[in-house]
Amino acid sequence: DLPIPQYHQYADATMDKMLESLETLLDEVADSDYEVEYGSGVLTLKLGNKGTYVINKQPPNKQIWLSSPFSGPKRYDYVPEQDGWVYSRDGRSLNDLLNQELSDVLGRKVDLGLADVSTQLS
Amino acid sequence: MLRSSISKTLANASPRASCVAARPLLARAYHEKVISHYEQPRNVGSLPKNDVDVGTGLVGAPACGDVMKLQIRVDENGIISDVKFKTFGCGSAIASSSYMTERVKGLSLEEAEKIKNTEIAKELCLPPVKLHCSMLAEDAIRSAIRDYRTKRTKVGNPKKSGFIDVSQSAATGETVATAHPPSSA
Repeated sequence: DLPIPQYHQYADATMDKMLESLETLLDEVADSDYEVEYGSGVLTLKLGNKGTYVINKQPPNKQIWLSSPFSGPKRYDYVPEQDGWVYSRDGRSLNDLLNQELSDVLGRKVDLGLADVSTQLS
Repeated sequence: MLRSSISKTLANASPRASCVAARPLLARAYHEKVISHYEQPRNVGSLPKNDVDVGTGLVGAPACGDVMKLQIRVDENGIISDVKFKTFGCGSAIASSSYMTERVKGLSLEEAEKIKNTEIAKELCLPPVKLHCSMLAEDAIRSAIRDYRTKRTKVGNPKKSGFIDVSQSAATGETVATAHPPSSA
């Protein structure tokens, strides 16, 4: 069971890395309809008329919550054995889901680098 | 009206024509279908938790800001004859669970457990940040169905009318059969 301070440390590392990777990605794609914002633990990724992602920390559950315009809502727990955030109902990681969906929608190979969370702590 | 504290709610993130408001977009606007469920929620209330034909689903957590209790009464044909809900949460959570109660009334358990959160989200035109509310409503009906089925397995009754109750003594080997004829209609 993840202690709360560790949850925040791991979740913040993941959200920060996600923001950094998405900002770089959007700079490369250079579509003016696309933007990413992050504040108060909530990240919003707007992909124009393709839809909007909302990804946020959910501290009471020690989770990261995702809302995808393609696959809907999912809740991720930190799994130490995988050193990543995993959706318990299908065993799939947040990293895998975002990489696959963004690669599909942007038509290029996307890797946000969200695996190995413990190596990314500040 | 309760506002979610999670983030700015996009009024109409979806491009679907039926979800676009006729009036100018506000920064935080609930779709009129959500407002309808909020102001006139359907099937609010409780069923007796201990009735053998009642299943109770309780999902969510107060710390998260959302708790849903959804109860179903199931008749002898496996059809949901009555349904009640109580929800603590935002307008979208209330609307999702209210809509779910309308949706499952008259359905079989098998049909009810197939209802997906995507249907609720589409019907209520929920914005991205509120898709979790529709998921919770899906969880609530499944929890109620699971509770009902668990109760049924515990209530096996060999003395039900129309059955013959057969037992054998381990000591003497004597077999006794007792018939319970069906009661006349």
